[in-house]
Amino acid sequence: MSVTTQAPAPAALATMSRPAAGALRATLLLAQWQLRRQAQFIPLLVVVQVFMAVATVIGYGLLVGNPDPATALFLATGAPTITLITVGLVMTPQMVAQARTEGSLDWMRTLPVPRWAFLAADLTVWTLIALPGMVLGIVAGVLRFHVDLSLAPWLVPGALAVSLVSAAVGYAMASLLPPQVAMLVTQALVFIVLLFSPVSYPSERMPQWLQGVHEWLPIEPMAQLVRSGLAHDTFDMPLRSVVVLVAWGTAAVAGAAAALRHRA
Amino acid sequence: MAEAMLSIRGLRKTYRGRNGARANDGIDLDVAPGTVVGLLGHNGAGKTTLVNQVVGIVRPDEGSIMVDGVDAVAQPHLARALVSVQAQANVPITGLTPRRAVELVGRIRGGDRAQVRGRTAELLESLDLMPWADTPSQKVSGGVARLTAFAMTTVVPGRLVVLDEPTNDVDPVRRRLLWSHIRTLADDGAAVLLVTHNVREAERVVDHLAVLDQGRVVAAGTPADLAADVQGALTVELDLANGWRDFPTSLGEVAVVGQRAVAQVDATHAAEVVAWAQAHVEAGHLERYALVPASLEDVYVQLVGPERTAAAVGAPAGDEGEDHR
Repeated sequence: MSVTTQAPAPAALATMSRPAAGALRATLLLAQWQLRRQAQFIPLLVVVQVFMAVATVIGYGLLVGNPDPATALFLATGAPTITLITVGLVMTPQMVAQARTEGSLDWMRTLPVPRWAFLAADLTVWTLIALPGMVLGIVAGVLRFHVDLSLAPWLVPGALAVSLVSAAVGYAMASLLPPQVAMLVTQALVFIVLLFSPVSYPSERMPQWLQGVHEWLPIEPMAQLVRSGLAHDTFDMPLRSVVVLVAWGTAAVAGAAAALRHRA
Repeated sequence: MAEAMLSIRGLRKTYRGRNGARANDGIDLDVAPGTVVGLLGHNGAGKTTLVNQVVGIVRPDEGSIMVDGVDAVAQPHLARALVSVQAQANVPITGLTPRRAVELVGRIRGGDRAQVRGRTAELLESLDLMPWADTPSQKVSGGVARLTAFAMTTVVPGRLVVLDEPTNDVDPVRRRLLWSHIRTLADDGAAVLLVTHNVREAERVVDHLAVLDQGRVVAAGTPADLAADVQGALTVELDLANGWRDFPTSLGEVAVVGQRAVAQVDATHAAEVVAWAQAHVEAGHLERYALVPASLEDVYVQLVGPERTAAAVGAPAGDEGEDHR
């Protein structure tokens, strides 16, 4: 060989492969990897979420005129849910679809890390990213409508659960559908969530058939969970909705995990 | 050869929906610790499919893959713990700096923080990446990204290291550093599977070669074994003037591409070929001629057919001053 340059001997590490880092440690490191990769977009994401919150709170306010207190409370408590759901159902799948297209997902899958650790890392990142927008959504609602909130102890875990389930559904969608299709579905979801879901208004206003559809979708339970956490004097969380939400979360995590394990 | 670190037998894989084309069609391959095995083949020969099966991204239709005694088909997660892979496509690391990316991967691969930090600095230094070590990766060139990916793969190397086209986009100077690193990896005990279509450069680093064509291993052995057929043969390269192509029969079969003609002659005929070529240069029929010892690349071209190698072999030329068609 004609190469004369010196390469360092990788002394201590040599070529010993060691058991992969503890799965939890690996999850945290992967989360750090993903978070740092998204870091430059996070300010933009937060701005978009603020727009979403403002659109729901102030834009809807313009549509309905001067809302009565009940409507105002619906709008104010719906806005944070919309920002949470948008991150999970729209931004998460877009990022996952991008990771698949650019090949980084396949590369990550060659790392000696359990498949569920990727999922756990990604869901952690997306859950965290969604939270600032949610807080801003609440602030916007309170400022605009001067509503009195009554915070429940389950608000924080509830919001985390909503964020987690929507990120899991988004992740599963992007893992199971072809990337281009996943992108289109997310676009459609923006409108469905904003306009055709009982998030910012009571479901009674929707046609009967749509109410029926929403009984089986996770969107209404998400809205109910956040709403009851923010104003538990006025709203409650039906048990049925808890079951629907848990079912969606479980199915989504299973679907995404299966997609990650899948070998072509 | 010592007990193989990677042992592949009868590997077959057909992707659905691609006209049933067999990406891998009965491949046998061994890589022993301490050796570099070059897997050569043109684009689409099945190299990357093979790599993806070793790390459990693609499931073989038939055949076995053993990594250090672990059945990689049945237990891909155990095999992955033993393997580190540099993928053919660059890993996107936007948002990270090369140093941060290498350190994080080292720790994800189970390295201890301080050791990984030291080894990262060492790798960045010796691959001459220091000027970009802390530059956001969206601002670095393709070659730097490629070398970063190499460092990510080898910061905590597996017992089997798979490198898929590691030299693509890398400049000639750093490419030499890279080859030297690859050799060092093996000398330190790793089994290295080097996927490449850069025959000329790989030939100096590899211990064994396997040539893949249409999903099959069409030749395997040491570079010397493979080159044995062409020992004593010379390659004649002719730059033709104005489309002149009146070759003597002593040149045998002449491959002409554009203004360039290439033929193989026996070394014993060297003097007469030179006399003939010189006469035609003086007559203005040839711009230039050259006689070079036939190389492994010529063997490779013979094996997989010239019509499909033109693009593959000539692509990443670099420091060789390769002047292929």
